[in-house]
Amino acid sequence: MTAVSQTVPLSRTSVQGDTVPMVSIRGVGKSFGTNEVLRDIDLTVNKSEVVCLIGPSGSGKSTLLRCINFLEVYDRGEIRIEGRLVGYSEDTPRRRLSNRDLRSLRRNVGMVFQQFNLWPHMTALENVAEALVQVRGMDKAAATSHARRMLDRVGLAAKADSYPARLSGGQQQRVAIARVIAMEPHLMLFDEPTSALDPELVGEVLQVMRDLAADGMTMVVVTHEMGFAANVADKVAFLDRGRIAAFGTPREVFHESTEPRVQQFLQTYHERNSF
Amino acid sequence: MKFSVIIDAFPYLLGAAVTTIWVSLLGVLLGQVIGVAVCVARQSGGRAADMAGGVYVSFFRGVPLLIQLLLIYYMLPLIGIDVPPLVASIAALGLASGAYVSEIYRGALNAVPHGQSEAALALGFPGSSIWTRILLPQAFRISVPALVNELILLLKASSLISVVGVAELTRTSQTISASNYRPLEIYLAAGLIYLAINGALALFGTLVERRLQQA
Amino acid sequence: MLDLSLLVQYGPALLRGFGVTILCWGAGCLIGMVLGFALMLLRQLPVKPLRWVIRAYIEVIRGTPFLIQLFLLYSGGPSIGLRLEATTAGILGLGIYGSAYFAEIFRAGYQAVPKGQVEAALSLGMSYGSILRRVIVPAMLVSTIPAIVNMMAILTKETVVLSIITVPELMYEMQTMAAETFATFETILGMALFYWLLVEVVSRLGRRLEARVTRFLTHASPQGSSSETATARA
Repeated sequence: MTAVSQTVPLSRTSVQGDTVPMVSIRGVGKSFGTNEVLRDIDLTVNKSEVVCLIGPSGSGKSTLLRCINFLEVYDRGEIRIEGRLVGYSEDTPRRRLSNRDLRSLRRNVGMVFQQFNLWPHMTALENVAEALVQVRGMDKAAATSHARRMLDRVGLAAKADSYPARLSGGQQQRVAIARVIAMEPHLMLFDEPTSALDPELVGEVLQVMRDLAADGMTMVVVTHEMGFAANVADKVAFLDRGRIAAFGTPREVFHESTEPRVQQFLQTYHERNSF
Repeated sequence: MKFSVIIDAFPYLLGAAVTTIWVSLLGVLLGQVIGVAVCVARQSGGRAADMAGGVYVSFFRGVPLLIQLLLIYYMLPLIGIDVPPLVASIAALGLASGAYVSEIYRGALNAVPHGQSEAALALGFPGSSIWTRILLPQAFRISVPALVNELILLLKASSLISVVGVAELTRTSQTISASNYRPLEIYLAAGLIYLAINGALALFGTLVERRLQQA
Repeated sequence: MLDLSLLVQYGPALLRGFGVTILCWGAGCLIGMVLGFALMLLRQLPVKPLRWVIRAYIEVIRGTPFLIQLFLLYSGGPSIGLRLEATTAGILGLGIYGSAYFAEIFRAGYQAVPKGQVEAALSLGMSYGSILRRVIVPAMLVSTIPAIVNMMAILTKETVVLSIITVPELMYEMQTMAAETFATFETILGMALFYWLLVEVVSRLGRRLEARVTRFLTHASPQGSSSETATARA
């Protein structure tokens, strides 16, 4: 794997607007009981775009992300991935999709979790190969060699036969990323991928994510890494109390926003991260 | 199914259930005494006591209760103690229960922070009052749920003493169904009685537990 | 003490009895686990009445003596047309008895499977069947194996109860021998030692199996298997 320059490849901007958006979120709302965690969210993610969701904890970022692949059920509005309605039937309003349809939708949407969620009883290689066999129906030998290439891509070829318990947090997260990219998803969701890591391990995971972005992967990333958001994201959405309070390019959100809550959030962030 | 059969037999079954209950209670009581003694001996009686206690616990937890029961039933006369089956049964239940109870207490004692006995030692408490004033009261409190569970287990296990002829609930059910040829109804009724007693015990256990948590 | 010639005379019968004991134990454990697993799965379905029925089944089995269950099956069965041979009734009885306990063990294991491991599989598009087979069951196995081994040791001991309904297992053969030779106490003592050993062997093998199954967890801090003290019993 090669280190990647910070410049944005041409292909990433040229696709915008000329096709169906990768993700289109319209008027989405969700409540846990009387607690409204998402209110009237609108968000578009185009192909090859990297969108970071930032904001204080409890602002609904992770919930929104989990609604995109329907790990969380949204109550109002609609989410579409490549034009396909997520979670509900197109014909009958608010009728849940069958598990089969949900699966076919999810196989194009990869998700990386805060806690890695590797399967502890399988080696790194087996973790990556598993869904290739179970979901894509590859035979075991083909799945294994494909999985090996994916581990190589995240720089972990040497750890193929290690069980997750023997890997550092950063290595586990890279295996988790390899597990997802092996499925060749059209879209990747990252749910605070570096929040559970020791500070010195954050960099290696962010580097893998930068490489993915440079390769043109469409990514939605919930993160507290403002540096990553500022340097890699095409768009940043600032969430506060279940609403998108600011949206735009990193420059627009970080430097030009007049929204007081954004300023307050960034202020706190800088105070905490300076010494 | 004939319910009249159950109704006719019910008074006899209830009477037998009373025997079941008090045999189990006596067994649990004996088990408590043995269990606490074994536990204390193992903790503070030196290595030999610990090993002997370990063998006792291992034997009575490893050997099926039915065999223990027969062993005691046939052994007592051999060593010149002639007791009715009822007494042998209670002894067997108590010995078996004691092995489990001593382990329950051992677990509970481990949950009492070590610093507490050190504090008592530092204050000059004699060893015996550390046990009676500090450790056992707390261990008892911690182990109450396990002990109620122990009573329920023993109550079910007591059905085995029917084999040495003690007229408790199971034995009485056998006798009645052998005479009226209605085993289905009679055993169903017996099962329901066991279930009712155990249900009541479980409820009692929850109440006591809640009481102790408040105190 | 025990005369050696007696062993020669009764050896084959005892050996046969031991075979029946192992058969009943093995088959009973198997039925208990399969049935218990099925009950656990059915309990996950969002059908309230079904849950109540399963809950009631478990409570009834766990709230009544094994011996009463055996009598119901073996002696009560014929009243509703269920005529079973003693050994069949014994195996079935052990299986039913075990199923209630195994169902509870598996339920605890199912609930202990980290949610994230399932979500990761869901987000990759795996089907429930695949997730169950490849993710949930292996994870369950890790957390439940001490309890499973403990239950199997308990069932080893319960096999002697089958002698009461005349299943020709080891205990039954031994009692026949004791009655014919009048060497009652010695025989029972021998039996006690034998079962002590047997239960110990089952527990040891179980612990070895546990170590094997959880091998990959070495150096994992949070999910390490905790061998609970085997005070539970039925």
